[in-house]
Amino acid sequence: MRSGRTGRSLAGLAGRIVALALIVFFAVGPILWMIVSSVRPADQLFQPDPSIVPTGVTTAWYEEVFGSGALRWFANSFVVAAATTLVSLVLGTAAGYAVTRFTFPGRRVLLACLGVSYLFPAILLLVPLYLVLSSLGLVGGLVGIVIGHLTITLPLTTWLMKSFVEAVPRDLEEAAWVDGLGYLGAFLRVTLPLLRTGLATTAMFAFILSWDEFLLASVIAQGDNVTAPVGMAGLVTSFDIRWGAIMALSTLVTIPVVVLFFVLQRYYEKGLTAGSVKG
Amino acid sequence: MATPAVLTRGLAGRQQRAGLAFALPAALLFVAILAYPIFESFRTSLFSIDLLTGDAAFVGFGNFGTLFGDRALWSTVGNTLLWTVVSLAGQLGLGLLAALLIDADWPGMRWIRQLLLIPYVVPVIASALVWQWMLDGHYGIISTNLQSWGALDAGANPLGQESTSLATVILVNVWRGFPFAMLVFWARMQGIDKAQYEAARVDGAGPWREFVHVTLPNLRSAALSLLALRGIWTLMYFELVWLLTRGGPAGSSEVLSTYIYKVVMGEFRVGYAAAIASLAGLFLGAAGLAGWIVYRLRARRDA
Repeated sequence: MRSGRTGRSLAGLAGRIVALALIVFFAVGPILWMIVSSVRPADQLFQPDPSIVPTGVTTAWYEEVFGSGALRWFANSFVVAAATTLVSLVLGTAAGYAVTRFTFPGRRVLLACLGVSYLFPAILLLVPLYLVLSSLGLVGGLVGIVIGHLTITLPLTTWLMKSFVEAVPRDLEEAAWVDGLGYLGAFLRVTLPLLRTGLATTAMFAFILSWDEFLLASVIAQGDNVTAPVGMAGLVTSFDIRWGAIMALSTLVTIPVVVLFFVLQRYYEKGLTAGSVKG
Repeated sequence: MATPAVLTRGLAGRQQRAGLAFALPAALLFVAILAYPIFESFRTSLFSIDLLTGDAAFVGFGNFGTLFGDRALWSTVGNTLLWTVVSLAGQLGLGLLAALLIDADWPGMRWIRQLLLIPYVVPVIASALVWQWMLDGHYGIISTNLQSWGALDAGANPLGQESTSLATVILVNVWRGFPFAMLVFWARMQGIDKAQYEAARVDGAGPWREFVHVTLPNLRSAALSLLALRGIWTLMYFELVWLLTRGGPAGSSEVLSTYIYKVVMGEFRVGYAAAIASLAGLFLGAAGLAGWIVYRLRARRDA
């Protein structure tokens, strides 16, 4: 009886380990394959019966990538993501603060709009946003891409910052108001320092969203001003597909995001479960 | 000396102004880049606009008439529903399984949890490209193996066959989305009162009955919110399908988002695209409103 039960639980344990290993393999395998492929010599990449175990490592694909115009794409992506993050963080924090701390006319409308625009799929915004941007002459430039990305990040940052402000005790500010610091002074000197983690989390999500974004950037960006995802998507349509270089680029575009993820891991999970990433 | 009533009103007024001042920049930007474009989208849907010449002609509801006669559009709607339902089922199912598996105090489990989140963290462009590479008909690790087992014709790519393209794109979407469901389910599991399990065990419940009678009921609200949020986003999700197949071959993996994109960027029929987008937006809005009302009614009934 007893040995039967331990036997069963041992089998159960083994089953769990195997299932977990399979799922981890399913999740991580493609990413490992991406990295492995980015350092494999061409003759190993392009054989009809590819072997899993790599023999020999090359940096040729990375050299090719660094010698090409692709660096410009990454610079564009970085500038766009940084600008998008900065603008949406400043405006989103102020708005998140306003709707949590004050009652003012239009507050409920603003909250409702926030909810709707947070859920609003970017594809439905594509046409009108394009028309607005082209009438302003902003199609083709980085500023236009930043504005496009703000439609995605601003509702998110406001929403996230609202939940972070709610967690800051109110009496500290009220004391500062009474002390004659004024609303702005109290916000800047009392509340803002307490929001550091919230700001870091929100900034990370805004940056990642903008860094990853493809749809709006693919429509707005032109010529030299394309972001990394848009530039990379254009490589596969060519006849002679240089998979080694493409995998090197894919690895490079992944690195900043994964580094941010591991550095700010604790906040990442919290932000995710707060429902913060579209798609 | 002011009376207290006046003081309150004065203070309330000052607070209102402060609130407005904090909210105004974001609110203005909202109006400029979200509210106005959405309004403009409805207006555009009443016109026939050529993006190349810039000519606009008022056609009333003509675009909507075209829409009902557009056969490609309706097969796309079918694909979109299939894509959404199967993707969500796969993501939630695999996510639940993974959440159960990582819900143990084994050493290193924290790391395994982070590894499992990777598909969700990696930029979609990198994910799409590596899957395309693995599925490449001549050199891809997955396709060449499937070919040598006889599961695939020589030189064939699952993304390039009409019979398998949609299923393959859905598989990649499950891969990309299941970690999110896993994290939500797992986070919810941490909040389940241990006493419920003990009570079940006292009643002689085995692991399976514990799962059905304790774990599952506690995950219901998490599953519902996942279905609602991911449902909206999956329905209109563009990037993955576009980057993997461009909706092809022969429209076999076309979904609404890629169809709209093609109508705009390929055919420059802006008014028609706006009509499709408006109708989809109205549909989503109605579904969202209905869901919200049901949610409120149930909340009231339960209270």
